[in-house]
Amino acid sequence: MEARKPVLNQKNEAVIRVKSAVPKNRQDLLKWNGWGYRDSKFIFDSAANEVRFTGQRYPIGDLRLPHLMGWVKENFDVDFSKPKKAQEVPPEEKFPKPQISPENLARITNLDISYSLKGLDRLIRAHGQTLHDIYTLRTSFFERIPDIVVWPTCHSDVVKLVRLADESDMVVIPFGGGTAVSGAVECPTGESRTIISLDTSQMNRILWIDRENLVACCESGIIGQDLERELRKLGFTSGHEPDSYEFSSLGGWVATRASGMKKNLYGNIEDLLVHVKMVTPKGVLEKNCQVPRLSCGPDFNHVIMGSEGSLGVITEVVIKVRPLPKCHRFGSIVFPDFEAGLACMREVARQRCQPSSIRLMDNGQFKFGMILKPESSYLGLILDGLKKFYVTKIKGFNVDTMCVMTLLFEGEEADVKAQEKKIYSIGLQFGGMPAGQTNGERGYMLTFVIAYIRDLALEYEIVAESFETSVPWDRALVLCKNVKEVIAQECRSQGIKYYMINCRVTQTYDAGCVIYFYLGFNHRDVENPVTVHEILETKARDEIIACGGSISHHHGVGKLRRRWYAGTVSQVGVDLYLATKKELDPKNIFATNNLIKAKL
Amino acid sequence: MCSSSRRYQDILAPRKTECSNFMWASRQLNPQVAFKQAKKPSPQYHKDEVVKCPKIQELLITLSEKEQVTKEVLEGRVRNILDEIGYNKKLKVVRWLAVVLTKICNRICSGIYLNEDAILQLKSQMGTCPVIFVPSHRSYADFILMSFMCFTEDVAIPAIAAGMDFHGMWGMGTVLRDTGAFFMRRSYNDDHLYWTTFKQYVYQLVTKGDLPLEFFIEGTRSRTNKSLTPKYGLILMILRAFFLSQVPDVLFVPINISYDRILEEKLFAFELLGIPKPKESTSGFFKSLSIVKEKFGSIYFDVAEPISAKKFFGPDLDRTLHNLQPIHMQEITDYEKKLIPSLAHEIVYKQQKHCIITTFNLLAIVLHNNLTSGRNLLSVDEIIDEILGLKKVIEKFGAYVFMDDPRKCVLEALEVHNNFVRVNEEGKVTLVWDEIVVGKVNVSKLKAHELSEKTITFSVPFMLLQIYINPTLHYFVDLAVLVLIVKHQRAQSQDELFANYHFLRSLLSQEFVTFNTREKMEFTSALAHAVDLNLLSRNQELYDLGENKQLEEIIYNCIDCFIFTYFVVCSVILELSRVIEEKTILAKVQEEIEIKINEGKGFIHPYSLSLDTITNCLNALAGQNVLTKSRKSGSVTYEINDTKVLFIKNRLEQYVTPAQVLQEKFESVQLHLKNKL
Ligand SMILES: Cc1cc2nc3c(=O)[nH]c(=O)nc-3n(C[C@H](O)[C@H](O)[C@H](O)COP(=O)(O)OP(=O)(O)OC[C@H]3O[C@@H](n4cnc5c(N)ncnc54)[C@H](O)[C@@H]3O)c2cc1C
Repeated sequence: MEARKPVLNQKNEAVIRVKSAVPKNRQDLLKWNGWGYRDSKFIFDSAANEVRFTGQRYPIGDLRLPHLMGWVKENFDVDFSKPKKAQEVPPEEKFPKPQISPENLARITNLDISYSLKGLDRLIRAHGQTLHDIYTLRTSFFERIPDIVVWPTCHSDVVKLVRLADESDMVVIPFGGGTAVSGAVECPTGESRTIISLDTSQMNRILWIDRENLVACCESGIIGQDLERELRKLGFTSGHEPDSYEFSSLGGWVATRASGMKKNLYGNIEDLLVHVKMVTPKGVLEKNCQVPRLSCGPDFNHVIMGSEGSLGVITEVVIKVRPLPKCHRFGSIVFPDFEAGLACMREVARQRCQPSSIRLMDNGQFKFGMILKPESSYLGLILDGLKKFYVTKIKGFNVDTMCVMTLLFEGEEADVKAQEKKIYSIGLQFGGMPAGQTNGERGYMLTFVIAYIRDLALEYEIVAESFETSVPWDRALVLCKNVKEVIAQECRSQGIKYYMINCRVTQTYDAGCVIYFYLGFNHRDVENPVTVHEILETKARDEIIACGGSISHHHGVGKLRRRWYAGTVSQVGVDLYLATKKELDPKNIFATNNLIKAKL
Repeated sequence: MCSSSRRYQDILAPRKTECSNFMWASRQLNPQVAFKQAKKPSPQYHKDEVVKCPKIQELLITLSEKEQVTKEVLEGRVRNILDEIGYNKKLKVVRWLAVVLTKICNRICSGIYLNEDAILQLKSQMGTCPVIFVPSHRSYADFILMSFMCFTEDVAIPAIAAGMDFHGMWGMGTVLRDTGAFFMRRSYNDDHLYWTTFKQYVYQLVTKGDLPLEFFIEGTRSRTNKSLTPKYGLILMILRAFFLSQVPDVLFVPINISYDRILEEKLFAFELLGIPKPKESTSGFFKSLSIVKEKFGSIYFDVAEPISAKKFFGPDLDRTLHNLQPIHMQEITDYEKKLIPSLAHEIVYKQQKHCIITTFNLLAIVLHNNLTSGRNLLSVDEIIDEILGLKKVIEKFGAYVFMDDPRKCVLEALEVHNNFVRVNEEGKVTLVWDEIVVGKVNVSKLKAHELSEKTITFSVPFMLLQIYINPTLHYFVDLAVLVLIVKHQRAQSQDELFANYHFLRSLLSQEFVTFNTREKMEFTSALAHAVDLNLLSRNQELYDLGENKQLEEIIYNCIDCFIFTYFVVCSVILELSRVIEEKTILAKVQEEIEIKINEGKGFIHPYSLSLDTITNCLNALAGQNVLTKSRKSGSVTYEINDTKVLFIKNRLEQYVTPAQVLQEKFESVQLHLKNKL
């Protein structure tokens, strides 16, 4: 049933019609007001008085997590007897009526492109995954949601839609996987024109694979897990794995300049992208060749990458693929403290011998990882036991300062062996000790699971969010310290008693690294948790930038980080962007208001 | 700050009752550090880091090419410099010193008071960023007492920026170093390697140190017992780390240390007159300590709320300016330098507002007024009444007067200061002149004019008295200026009043430290107080003198002598050549004033001879570009703009007490003097 009738492309190969893991009716499989699959979530089992993770999709599924509750109680002073349930799906009549004229609706209908005016369809395409988004879904309603959702199935559908929107002055907001954490997907409030949410999910074929040049041409709506699954079947991988790759789309990656966990081996989206098409009101922006590099004036691919839906719709992307690596091994090293771990990361980068992935969790995250250990695998592993274990077994390590580096090696067996040897010996120079494959593997697995924890937290008055930055090596340590201190100070002045701020280094480069922060707090004592969170995150970002860090490494600007855009790119940069915008989209139909508030 | 909410504990009291100070001094310590570091840094670690840092290393490479010396030799030089600078930490010495100090304090002090709540509060805020203690500086004892206080309160003993004069004291230098002092050469030498090393050392302590830092923002001990204009050098070095975002914040803790009696009072009185002080030698220092038979009353610490650099500068400060280029190549911008004065002044302001007014401060005002205004001298009972009246007034301005039982306090104050204030045979409180003996003065060491022994003998008690009046003046000065204006010019509108106030207050800005941004506010509040106290009265749009003649007299007498000196300075420099050395001006002004004192035509307050006042005046004039100050090989010269000086002199002249009044005063003082001399 996958490909009913083989379609042949220009290269005389079969187009792969991908059956996506996520159905067109997203809400059938995914939560309408939280992260990920409906069947997968952390729940508090009051009968057993403990927390569990449901479903079988992830390795910790249906295992008891006996340490979690105690930890949460102690660190967040949570009262498990009083959950704050989220509101139910609003009934159809509660949704705002679609603001669309009969003429425009007729024009869309005439295009013969699938569409929906249903409230819930529109609501779940009105947001991304920021704390603000989820909190709003659980407790209130968005100021503005799209008026209509359309599902084009190919490039030419998009061309027609964009032309129609431009002619009839309707707004188009591209929607990929809806995983943005920058406010990029949200509708501009105060937009009086009809807003069309252009859902790319049905435009998800792999149009062709070029085995000689190792590239594949895909439609932009394909999501990460589908792409990987299909490529794997053919013995390839794209190697692009952002932590959201189960749900985020190729078009979204390009539009936000995404970065995957394994970028050391495969590169970030800008390294992977060979050719791209973007449909704008002025026509299609693309190049006439599929070459590895081009010296031809400023590279307009970089106008497309990071455009965040504001300049046009990305429809087709040619990306690099690689043969699947034979060997795939995890690893981990523990360090006495974060400073030592970071120094080791720096040295690895200096020697340019990074494995596929190398990450460093600080002490807070290290501990949290331990807390999430299911009982079945470790008997009675409470932190005190752990203390004894490490203090005695690994002499000189302090449980309250130590941290862990997780590693992923990929390649030929011999190459992996050589890499391991090198990394562990560098680790040793910085006082690190190998801590096994399982610890490493768990670390990566938890990355996917941790996204689910916020939904449970929200039930118990804890709000949580993450934010990231990139920073030169020499400023990294101070940046981490200062941001933590700023959060501590600000929590104090906001009257927040229970909070958590921790960080990890998630990527390394020649000239610097990426820091990823997690922030959460018990909001019992504050009036408006989302506003307070925004204040905290703003202070943190101000501090990040003062410490020489960036506005964002991969989450993008969206609406959330607009206030730092001009400072980052200079006023000339702003004007240049605006000029581009004016040229490509003179009527501002891609009125996402991302990057800067575009009043054209 | 509400004065009634202040509470103080005597931290010496437990030392007086416990059976062994030794036990206490050798107790297990768990001091609160300022900026917790992953690994506890050692004094040696700091020095090593400074040598290793890119800034120094790159400088050494450049220097070695320029001077044709190997880098190793230069590195040796840096290490030597660091050994001269660097602090040490020897717990044994600290404990030993604690014992000795307790013994001394128990003998000569009645108490060491501290607002302990503030320390507790501060301790709870410490640990996450550099903390800088910024005490007022009135005595050498400040150094040691600060450390003593920290030791008592279980706060990590700070690394203290000390002048090189201490370094020279044999024994004392080492002891101070071992308890955390680090040493800074006097400025005005431009040894590039030295200063780069020193700045880097401070930067190292701020960014990687865990101890609090301590420095005296006034730069030197104030000889007059009133605040000095803050210096910007060290605070800038400290803030560098914050401007470059290398620390999350910096907390400055203004601290006021007030003394019932300053150890060096006599020395200061002499110094203010220009009679050279003995070089700070160990013997000299101990000599001042060897007066252990004397009483020094109490010492008061008031720790103010910390000022967060981050909050203070707020969004005015754009730290992203330093995002390009490596950190060690970053230079502080001019804009950042311009931000410093406001913070420095805020710290001094807080120090002032946290001062403790002692019984003797008030007694000094009353006695001074009696002496110079032809009043009868007062008995102890009478003086208590007046002190209580004055206490009420000064408390209105937010001052905190440390006085529980007035009689007890007054008697104690008289006992403590009985070297120059006593109750005479008639039971009246008065100054003592006869016991001051001036030895032979080495003329070559004089700072200014050679005053006659007669003048000195006459002046010293007045100088001493003024030293104890001075700490109260920042409460009165704005009021005094208003009274002065109206008294000499008659009723005027608020605008006129402000214009005149602005003129005088800016001229006195070094004398009574103030920062222009506060001017309007202080004017308004002083005016309101003046009306409230009936010093001025408002008649429709005009302000005239009020009915409160007694207070008017007291307040007027407070700044009278300053105005006089400023006037003489202007007159004198007009008669000198266009470019003059500072020393010449000082001598000339003193000479002029001495003549006037001895002429017998009117009472000239001996404090008018104060070199401090003269220099303040010169600095204020230079600040207003009336004079141009320059420094050549250690000596200061001024270039004079005659027209501008003349203008100021004429304007000042209106405020100088008329001859006839001076004559009356003269007679009254003579009367009192005759009794004694
Ligand atoms: C749990 C979690 C983990 C994450 N981990 C990572 C990570 O490791 N690395 C990373 O880079 N990001 C990560 N993100 C952020 C997010 O997944 C990425 O920004 C991702 O690229 C967004 O893709 P999407 O398809 O979901 O786009 P959406 O959220 O649907 O859209 C994002 C923006 O792109 C525009 N857009 C989408 N598709 C198109 C198109 N075809 N043409 C034009 N514009 C389009 C939208 O209008 C919007 O402005 C994570 C997010 C979450 C919630």
